[in-house]
Amino acid sequence: MKITRRDLLVWSAGATAGLVFTPVPYKLLGDLSIWTQNFPWIPQPAHGPVDVKESSCTLCPNGCGMRVRMAAGWPVGVAGARTNPVSRGALCPLGFAAHQLNWHPLRLRTVRHRGQASSWEEARTAFSKACAEGPIVIIDGYPGRAASQHFENFVQKQHGVYRVVLGAESRALTPYEKWSGVPAAALGYDLENARTIVSFGAPLLDGWSTPGRFTRLWAERAAGMAEPQLRLIQIEPSLSRTAARAWQWLAIRSGGQAAFAAGIARVMLEEHLVRASGPMPALTLAESAQQSGISPDAIRDLARMIVAQSPAVAIADDDDPAIAALNVVLGAVGTSGGIVQRTKRAKSYLSAEPVIPSARAVLIDSTVPWDFVPQTDAEVFRFGAWEGGPNKADWLLPAPGFMEELTDIPTAPTSAVETYAVAPRLVKAPPEVQSAVQFLGQADPDLMPVDKIIHTRCENLFRARTGTLCAQQTTPVATIPSVEKLEEQLRNGAVWMGEPQHPGGVRCKLSDWPQATRSECPPCDSLASWRAPVLPPLASKLYQESSLREESDRRNA
Amino acid sequence: MSTRYGMVIDLDRCTGCGACMIACAAENNVPSLPQATARTGLTPMLVRRVSNGMEGQARREVFVPILCMHCEHETPCVSVCPQQAVELDKGTGIVMQMPQRCLGCRYCMTACPYHARYFNWWDPAWPKGMEKSLNPGVAVRMRGVVEKCNLCHARLHSAEEKAAAAGKREIDPADYVPACVEACPTAAIQFGNLADKDDPVSRAANSSDAFRFLERIGTEPKVYYKSGETWVKALKESVSGVEVKRG
Repeated sequence: MKITRRDLLVWSAGATAGLVFTPVPYKLLGDLSIWTQNFPWIPQPAHGPVDVKESSCTLCPNGCGMRVRMAAGWPVGVAGARTNPVSRGALCPLGFAAHQLNWHPLRLRTVRHRGQASSWEEARTAFSKACAEGPIVIIDGYPGRAASQHFENFVQKQHGVYRVVLGAESRALTPYEKWSGVPAAALGYDLENARTIVSFGAPLLDGWSTPGRFTRLWAERAAGMAEPQLRLIQIEPSLSRTAARAWQWLAIRSGGQAAFAAGIARVMLEEHLVRASGPMPALTLAESAQQSGISPDAIRDLARMIVAQSPAVAIADDDDPAIAALNVVLGAVGTSGGIVQRTKRAKSYLSAEPVIPSARAVLIDSTVPWDFVPQTDAEVFRFGAWEGGPNKADWLLPAPGFMEELTDIPTAPTSAVETYAVAPRLVKAPPEVQSAVQFLGQADPDLMPVDKIIHTRCENLFRARTGTLCAQQTTPVATIPSVEKLEEQLRNGAVWMGEPQHPGGVRCKLSDWPQATRSECPPCDSLASWRAPVLPPLASKLYQESSLREESDRRNA
Repeated sequence: MSTRYGMVIDLDRCTGCGACMIACAAENNVPSLPQATARTGLTPMLVRRVSNGMEGQARREVFVPILCMHCEHETPCVSVCPQQAVELDKGTGIVMQMPQRCLGCRYCMTACPYHARYFNWWDPAWPKGMEKSLNPGVAVRMRGVVEKCNLCHARLHSAEEKAAAAGKREIDPADYVPACVEACPTAAIQFGNLADKDDPVSRAANSSDAFRFLERIGTEPKVYYKSGETWVKALKESVSGVEVKRG
């Protein structure tokens, strides 16, 4: 048979037409589209065995419970752990992207001495020399941890000083310490039993303290209700996110919070709405109204409503003594639904000068907010996982990042009950980083390691036989067979919760209404609240692309 | 009975914290590119701040999470897509976006009345090493394709695999919870089966306070909003309740 050119063309045309009815072109198209999704320069997720670990967040001292999804040994997702009795499954927005922080472009990876690259060896030599010359100061951001005890042990041996930088939430409790003698670290707010909360600018719905604790409470008892079980009154100059969702927002004049608190207290005392348990403010009601920008009638109405809807408590955004005095007048200190003492074992961090004049070296832990600058001429050794901008430290020392070191989590600053948790190391730290604990351990190898301190604390909890262990099931500590079992559960994400204390342990002695000036906070000279040195890149991105954050916040992002 | 996954978002409970946005972006491997802006960024879940227009003490604000509404009837994006890259899943009611099929014409973005679709302008990139933190359950998308909320479809797959391994045909509802729902600290976002009259979400969707944006255009969105405040309910006649910043 002779094949002509025409036959060939007909066959080709037929084959081409027939091909359309076969899966081949569609398969090729599909493969092509998949191939174009997988160019070699497109990053691919790590694949491997997936596991879920329970732990606690270490970004701030509140230690919210979290579940970390791990793939191939790397954290690939974070969610809240419902088993945590304080955070109750909630995390702040930053927590959901915190697992990406370890690769943040501003991660510190090299030792720097006055801006120049240096080495750990040189830093150790300089620190040892300073220790030999005179006393040293160690400044901590999250007191009460095993690492904090390590620091205290070190300064005790070196005749140095241990200092703490308190966050705004802790500082708000310091006036009560001065008036009652009970350490601020032992005090908390009994929000669960309050019916009215008067917030003087405290961002209660915007990451205040353990975020899940109040937001869940507000959602259950207040959100969307015309007559809520819990009334949130926000006293603030601008319409913040908390003010937007509050039961009542009072747009106060900027700086008029103390005068407003004095006005409310005066009405309460003059009208005998409360038992006279505090001093009469010097300001008249008219002066309070003038300074706060709120009418006298509105102040009167609010004072009457607060008393009618008690238990009530006022929460300040910092250590304003006038707002603390209002709580004293209201009878909210040492009562259910107010400010309560959660433990008898806490230490006081309100003491002497921030830095002793003769100090030769100041070591700042990575938990201290980045923009804290100690007023000292001593050599400053600053640990940090991320670089948060200009800073006056002589030595910049790269510290482990998120989930890269073992730590324990003592009670959150405003909690009404004692808790204890352990955050295990879930990710291997890069070889070039060291924690302050490791650094000091090399300077003095006789110090008890953090691991051992945590074990001792577990032994103490086991011996005390009080409280419960909150995991998938709640177990009384008294029924746990051994300390090893207790420690194992804590290291696997369980949280120990102490017994609620009787609220009547705090009694404030206040003879005169305090001055409007804020009290001095020894080690802290610049900060308004805890601030992250950097945000997870996703958080920065989303805040830039949404209208959620105010302009100033966006600049920070 | 087929499943109709949907949401009810209680605007009276939303504090605008943004946890849903961040959890969504982390779950779906959304890159954080510095060059992205409010117009060009990828935000499958976007929380908008809306006010009543008053000033001073009378001003009120509410936070409105906007995501794909998963329209049930004459789904605009499905009907315009020349590539069949968008599909309404008959079994679940989820409007699926398949980036592998997408050629990036953006007809669907034009057609979407809710402005809940986003074009991928750049190759996905992360700071060095951060690709290790990506979710292995979700593929990274190339530039030139349109993206949107798929109701965390990877989580539905995992739940189905788990049910199949246990020899069950139906998934356990607790195994399939989208990332935004899981992240919401006030439980403002509820998720469930709208076709099941006993499902709490179905009951919430039928309450007198529930409404849907642009209901009059008849696309039957499966994302409902809820508020007891009159001025908030009045937003339903606007485009996604708010002035559109993009475009």
